[in-house]
Amino acid sequence: MTVRIQIPTPMRQHTEGKATVEVAGATVQAVLTELGQKYPAIVERLFDKGQVRRFVNVYLNDEDIRYLDNLNTAVKDGDELAIIPAVAGG
Amino acid sequence: MDPALERYSRQMRFFGIGEAGQRKLLDSHVTLCGCGALGTVLANALVRAGVGHLRLVDRDFIETHNLQRQVLFDEHDVAENLPKAEAAARKLGAINSSVHVEPVVTDIDRTNILDLVQDADLILDGTDNFEIRYLINDVAVKLGKPWVYGGSIGSHGQTMTILPGETPCLRCVFEAAPAPGEAATCETAGVLGPIVNIVASFQATEAFKILTGRRDQINRELIYIDVWENVYRRIKIAKLKGAVDCPCCGHRRFEWLDGEHGTQTTSLCGRNAVQVAHRVAGRLNFEDMARHLETLGAVTYNRFMLRFTADAHEFTVFPDGRAIIKGTSDIDKARTLYAKYIGH
Repeated sequence: MTVRIQIPTPMRQHTEGKATVEVAGATVQAVLTELGQKYPAIVERLFDKGQVRRFVNVYLNDEDIRYLDNLNTAVKDGDELAIIPAVAGG
Repeated sequence: MDPALERYSRQMRFFGIGEAGQRKLLDSHVTLCGCGALGTVLANALVRAGVGHLRLVDRDFIETHNLQRQVLFDEHDVAENLPKAEAAARKLGAINSSVHVEPVVTDIDRTNILDLVQDADLILDGTDNFEIRYLINDVAVKLGKPWVYGGSIGSHGQTMTILPGETPCLRCVFEAAPAPGEAATCETAGVLGPIVNIVASFQATEAFKILTGRRDQINRELIYIDVWENVYRRIKIAKLKGAVDCPCCGHRRFEWLDGEHGTQTTSLCGRNAVQVAHRVAGRLNFEDMARHLETLGAVTYNRFMLRFTADAHEFTVFPDGRAIIKGTSDIDKARTLYAKYIGH
């Protein structure tokens, strides 16, 4: 399964400036792990003790993974995974 | 037509509002928290639309770099050194003298928020940090009042509408705020005027729907827009209610309102300095924080502290989130500086 991951602006310094990265995997966990293998510096920004950091939300095809199967949610070819941190400014 | 309503004729002609809707707007009370970029756009929209009673709360003064996006202010306001709430109220009074605008110059905290929102039909978010948004969320859920979150930075922004008991609350969706230094702020990443106008305009429209009783029309999704990268997302969040174990709307534990979280700030006597005691879980990442800050001033750090100098203020930040800001003894100013540079 190839999934397109949307990287938020503040994390792009860890993905060579790329806004989207395509990785393979069968679950959300697997594709995020693959992302971390490609770009190791992003792991610490994304995870805290194996869980997605609490101020970062992960949306699969614009659905929040927390009401799906969280990190175990299955993905299929062509899915889009968006990583979106909380926006504080105003 | 009632001559008092003539000025709203184009809005009343819109099928969703009508004369009945207009009369509801005129009878409405709104508390707007924050009168910066989002807040000025919101206040402008509400007052022109005839929202009858607007309380405008802000702790800050106007600076030249605000004028790029804070639509109610001008160079005279900067020269006069006016507080934002006051300058906005003057401008709004000239725009529509038939509605009541009440400026309040204060730092919203758990001791005064109940008084500020008690009589409001709706709370609007024009703030710039999550500490206050969680406090607004606590008070809104506790009192059962609707509120509309908005945030923007760089070229992107988000908004969602919270109807306590009906929709997920802010803490259902964002379980925790970024630790200081972990997320960009408008000071470090900048912000484009248009995205602020877009987010606040979405918020203002939600306000019209809520105040005119059109809950059926309310946006139940998290809207995410990036005007530079041409992204518009409607993230489905309704099913989060009940799916996450929310301390606030699930367990009715109001941790910000009851003072378990948040900033405890004290002026350090005789030192022209203020300590901002912000509790964070874990340790701050000084490397990332230094990267955000180095374009704005001089930064040095070791593993015990980070020192940053800008705007004639010297910040000493400790790994637990605490900071000492030299160059001011004003607590409100120190909190503003902390939110601006260190984040949260």
